[in-house]
Parts: sequence; structure tokens; C-alpha cells
Amino acid sequence: MEKFSFLSNKEFRKLVEGLTGSFTVYGTVRKDARLSAAGDGFPAYGRISCFEDLVLGLTPTHLSAKEFLFPQRETLLKFDIEKMTHAAVVEAVDQVIIGLHPCDIHAVGLMDRVFAYGKPDVNYLARRAKTVIIGTDCMPDRFCFCKSVDTMNVDAGFDIFLHRVKGVEPPQGAGPPQNGFLVRTATDRGKTILSKYAKAKKASLKQLDEIAAFEKKREDSFTAHIDAPAGQLPEIYSKSDESPVWERIGAICYGCGSCNNVCPTCYCFDVKDEMKSNLNEGERVRVWDGCTLEDFAKVTGGHNFRRTRSDRLRHRFNRKFNYLTGRFGALFCVGCGRCSRTCLVQINISEVTNELIREYNAKKRQ
Amino acid sequence: MNSYGNTMPKSGSSSSYLPVPLLIERVARLTEKERLFKLSANGRAFTFDPGQFFMAGLPGYGEAPFSIASGSGKAAEADGSFELCIKAVGNLTNAIHRLKKGDTLWVRGPFGRGFDVNGSSPLRGMKGRDILFIAGGIGIVPMRGLIKTILGDRESFGALTLVYGFKDPEGILFAGEMEDWKASGMAALLTVDKPAPGLSPLKGWKGHVGVVTTVIPGLEINPSKTVAVIIGPPVMYRFAIKSLWDKNIARDDIYLSLERRMKCGVGKCGHCQIGGIYACQEGPVFKLSELKDMPDAL
Ligand SMILES: Cc1cc2nc3c(=O)[nH]c(=O)nc-3n(C[C@H](O)[C@H](O)[C@H](O)COP(=O)(O)OP(=O)(O)OC[C@H]3O[C@@H](n4cnc5c(N)ncnc54)[C@H](O)[C@@H]3O)c2cc1C
Ligand code: SF4
Ligand code: SF4
Repeated sequence: MEKFSFLSNKEFRKLVEGLTGSFTVYGTVRKDARLSAAGDGFPAYGRISCFEDLVLGLTPTHLSAKEFLFPQRETLLKFDIEKMTHAAVVEAVDQVIIGLHPCDIHAVGLMDRVFAYGKPDVNYLARRAKTVIIGTDCMPDRFCFCKSVDTMNVDAGFDIFLHRVKGVEPPQGAGPPQNGFLVRTATDRGKTILSKYAKAKKASLKQLDEIAAFEKKREDSFTAHIDAPAGQLPEIYSKSDESPVWERIGAICYGCGSCNNVCPTCYCFDVKDEMKSNLNEGERVRVWDGCTLEDFAKVTGGHNFRRTRSDRLRHRFNRKFNYLTGRFGALFCVGCGRCSRTCLVQINISEVTNELIREYNAKKRQ
Repeated sequence: MNSYGNTMPKSGSSSSYLPVPLLIERVARLTEKERLFKLSANGRAFTFDPGQFFMAGLPGYGEAPFSIASGSGKAAEADGSFELCIKAVGNLTNAIHRLKKGDTLWVRGPFGRGFDVNGSSPLRGMKGRDILFIAGGIGIVPMRGLIKTILGDRESFGALTLVYGFKDPEGILFAGEMEDWKASGMAALLTVDKPAPGLSPLKGWKGHVGVVTTVIPGLEINPSKTVAVIIGPPVMYRFAIKSLWDKNIARDDIYLSLERRMKCGVGKCGHCQIGGIYACQEGPVFKLSELKDMPDAL
């Protein structure tokens, strides 16, 4: 049984302030207020330097939190041509990320597998080991479909998880209701941090009922879904190479790579050298790359193994539902809906998948 | 799901990206575009199978995969040195071509799964069988490593035949060595691509003219005894495979080495992924039977 305890808003503020004092803290914020329709900004991750910066959103951020573990540009080596030296660079600071939703926490778990697999990637793993993850509960928007890919709930992969509660009467029956969070921890590190910076109290039955009711409401709120059991998707995708769907979405795709950038489980990268202006010292860096970009599978001589946008979308979708499942034992789509949310031409991953499912079922009936 | 505890870097584990400096012992100019670099092992005990590759680079120019051109097993150099044959096609490879004896090349590896000459891996092995080597262009480089390895243990194999196709008679690689290979009991059939009308790169060439697949039908092949190996430019594979099928060679007996873009060599960067496999890990050498249901494999 998970153990919940209660953290009042006041104590939560102490926790966040304690963390910002000792760690580099990132968390969910609102960005670009002027550009957003409602004027309150877009949900995003950013640096948290004081409690007021943090806005725990109910809906997913546009970009995922992967940049804090796998930066968009990362130095792997520093070299000096004259001195003929190469030095490995492994940068990691004690950091906290606040506000990951269950899908995002599952996504971090998948990234952990990718970078630990085979020859471990010390750059990622060193950073990961120093990262405290604080998750929070959420409500689906019209793109979310975590419920269909078994990533709606988490019981590991975070240090601390926050469930919002409100309306608890203070003991004397006076004053405003005491809002706060029911918290659970999944690691010793999470327990230590919680007790170091804040005082949690015993959760009341009423509060437990409240989060149960919230979770029920959440479960009933999904509008996007995948119409086949998650376990069947690798098989369905493996039979879909000839589907007309790829032609159709390939014809409208811009090949812009936004879907790769926003996806919390897209981990492909390019490696290149950057020289300083003295043309002697430089760095070998890795930068995010995207399989929907034109040159991704091009080799010397100009041959491109996935020449068309259809080829490349088929590859990306298969990487999420088929190609990686054997090696890592899980789907690589956590249902966050980010790629659908960001796509300029409304290519929607759950709808595309449902189309493949319909074709698959129709073929089976024949 | 992993919690962070499982993925802490194991103590002593090091960056996958740190190359080692190897001294260039010799540079041989093979053609205008190709040079053969002999690299000293600098006391490092590299062991490799033919078909494996190194990531080789120069600071400021990046790094790229290059096949091992040397033999292994009994054909390996006693001092651990090995050769890379590099074709100048772009930024890095042109920079490497400017290097001379005594300069340094930075390498990581060896990486990937090579040929299973001895039958120690799930590949079925090649010992005791007739071997048909089909090389196109720069594909002769990894093929040379394989041929040398096999010739180093000649008695363990049946009939050996090389079919080697190239664009331009002046671009034939290892022509001199080929005479030695023939003397050690390997038949070699060389063919130059038919020149485009108006162009005449034949330059006095008297041998066979036409792509490699025009040579295969004329070969005498015992399909139950033969293993065929294909290494060449991407366009070659489908046609070569088709002509091997016409000879009744089974999918299990066709080996291929696949070229892909590779940025890390350690199964992370995603560029070399073909279906569920990474060419840098499970390959670059595959049996054709392993590449089923992969729309972009060939
Ligand atoms: C397993 C394997 C073995 C190979 N063996 C040999 C060999 O023995 N001899 C030989 O001459 N060539 C070999 N190649 C090809 C060689 O890696 C490319 O020619 C080389 O990457 C070209 O680099 P460049 O910077 O000079 O070329 P450029 O044309 O300047 O490269 C342009 C861009 O494309 C990228 N690129 C193109 N092809 C590749 C690739 N395959 N991998 C990574 N990046 C790529 C480059 O990094 C660069 O960003 C091999 C390739 C593979 C995959
Ligand atoms: S975001 Fe949309 S348009 Fe851009 S590459 Fe992805 S699918 Fe194509
Ligand atoms: S593929 Fe799309 S929905 Fe799935 S995890 Fe990536 S961004 Fe989210």
C-alpha cells in the first residue's frame, strides 16, 4: 500500500524553498503570456528560482522535461589540437525537476533503459543519478491517451509524488480551508528530502477519498484513446508497412521534426565538432536529431534509406509502438499527446494508430 | 520501470565517446581517392572479427565508421596493428587523407558484429563451406579483411570465389594483393560497370564489362555448400540477392554488411536503426534471414 501523508500549501512552499536553496530546480511554469490565447501563458518547464515561479499545471507542457537529463546540446569531449589531448566531459549537478506527470515519469524510465542498455552512457546516467523527480497529478486534455498505453499511473520512477487536495477544514473549524497535497515517496532520497525541508502530517480519510474521486474523474475524462489493447500494438504495427495511411500523412507532413523534439522518449542525436575561434580548442557535442528530418538516414554517396516523409513517419511511429518493444520490454509512446499537440498539420498519433487498428481488424476478418 | 537506483553509472565506467590516439605507421596511396592507413596498436590488444568497424576521427572534423581492412585470427598482425582504407568523400575523410606517417588518428572500437568465420555466434559459421564473395566499390575493404582471415586458414574452407565490381578500371583496389589471393587458391572475377554512353572509363580494360549481377549467372555454384557474402553500395544488394536466389542459395546462407549513418557506435544515437535492430550493434553483418519484415533494410 502506498503511504500518503499530507503537506499543507505552507509546508509545500517550505519544501520548494528548501530545494531552491540547495539544488538547481526546474519545474512547470507559464511562458509567453502575451502569445497565449487566454493570456496566462503556455505550460512549459523552466528554471525555478523562487516558489512563485512554479505553476503546477494540470495539462501537459508543450516540451517535455527530457532536456534536463538529455540536453539539446551537450558536450561529450573537449579537445586541444596542439596539445593532442581529448578529455571526456561528464557534467552533472544536483537538480530537482518538479511537476512531471505520470506519463513523463514513465518516459524518464524508458530513457533510463535506453542509456543504461549495452555500454552505459555515463553522460546521461550521471545526470540522472543526481536528479530528484517530483511528480504531480494531472487531468487529460483532448490529446492525452496515457490510459490506453498503461502509463496513467506510477508507483516508481519518482522520488516524491504530489496529489492536490483542497477544502480540508482546519482543526478548530475556523479559518479558510487548508489546501495542499497528499504526498507519497518512492525512494529513500524522496523521504529524506521531504522530512528535511517540510513537515508532513498524517493524511485523513477524507483527503484519501478526495484524491480517489479526482482519479476517478480523471479516468473518465479521456477523449483520446487507442482502440486496441496496448500489448497488441507491436503486432498491429508490424503488419502495417503497406498501409495507405503512411502515404496520406507523408503527403501533408512538413518533415519539420517538431514531433521528435517535443517527445519525451525521442532520444536520437547527432554528434559533431565545434571549434573555438582560436581554431585549436574545441568540443565534440551531441545535439538532438530527429528521424523525421530528411538527412537522418542518408549515407555518403547520397543514398537515403528513408527518402520520403512517409518512410520517415512510418519509422517514427514504429519506433514508438513496435521497433523498440522487443529490446526494452515496453511501448515507447507514453501517450502524452505532445507530438499531436504540436504538429502543424494535425497528424495525430492516436488517430493514426486507430486507423491502423481498423485496417488490421478488417484484414483479419477477411 | 527503473528507479534511478538501477541506472547509476557503475563505478569505473567511462565515457563511451573518448577515443584513443593511434599512430599512423604507414600510408599507402591506392588510387586517387583511396588510401590505406596502417595504425599501430600502441600496446593495446585490439581483437576483432572481419566486418567489424572502428569509429575514427580527427578533432575538429568529427568521426565516422570505417571497416577493418585487416585479417584476423591467423591472419592478424602479431603486433596488433591493423589497417583502415579510407575513401576521400567529404570533410572528415579529406582531412584524414592529409595525414602522414607519424601522425595520429583518434579511434574508438572495434564495434559491431562481424562475420562469424568460426561459427561461434548464432550465425551459422563459414568453415567447411564454399564461399562466394561479392564486392562492389569500397565494399572490397571489409571484404579484404574477411578474405585475408579465410585465406589465413585456407584448408578449413571449400572453393573460394570473389566477384568484384567497380566503376572505373583505375579505381580497382588491392589489385596487386589479388594476385596473392589467387595464388592462395581463390578465384577472382573482376568486372567494370558498363560506361554511360559518351563516357569511356574503360581505359584499356580487357576484362568483363557489366555490373556484378551479370557475372553471377555464369558461376558454377553448389547451393547446399555455398555461403555468399555481399558488400557494396546500397543499390547493389537487391539485385545481387535476386541473382543468388536464382542460384537457389538460401536466405540463411547469404551474409550482408549494411552501411548506415552512425554517430555513436554504441547503440544510442538511433541513426543506424533498421526495424528493431541497430546496425552498429547487431550488425553491420547480417544474414539475409535476419532482415525479414524490415521495409528499409535493403
Ligand atoms: C559500418 C561502416 C563501415 C564503413 N567503412 C568504410 C571504409 O572502410 N572506408 C570508407 O572510406 N568509408 C567507410 N564507410 C563510410 C564512411 O563512414 C563515410 O564515408 C564517412 O562518414 C564520410 O565522412 P565525411 O565527413 O568525409 O563525409 P561527408 O560527405 O562530409 O559527410 C557528410 C555528412 O554525412 C555524414 N555521414 C555520411 N555517411 C555517414 C555514415 N555512414 N556514418 C556517419 N555519418 C555519415 C557525415 O558525418 C557528415 O555529417 C563506412 C560506413 C559504415 C556505416
Ligand atoms: S510535427 Fe507533424 S509536420 Fe512536423 S515532422 Fe512531425 S508529423 Fe511531420
Ligand atoms: S510519440 Fe507522441 S504521444 Fe507518444 S510519447 Fe512521444 S510525444 Fe508523447
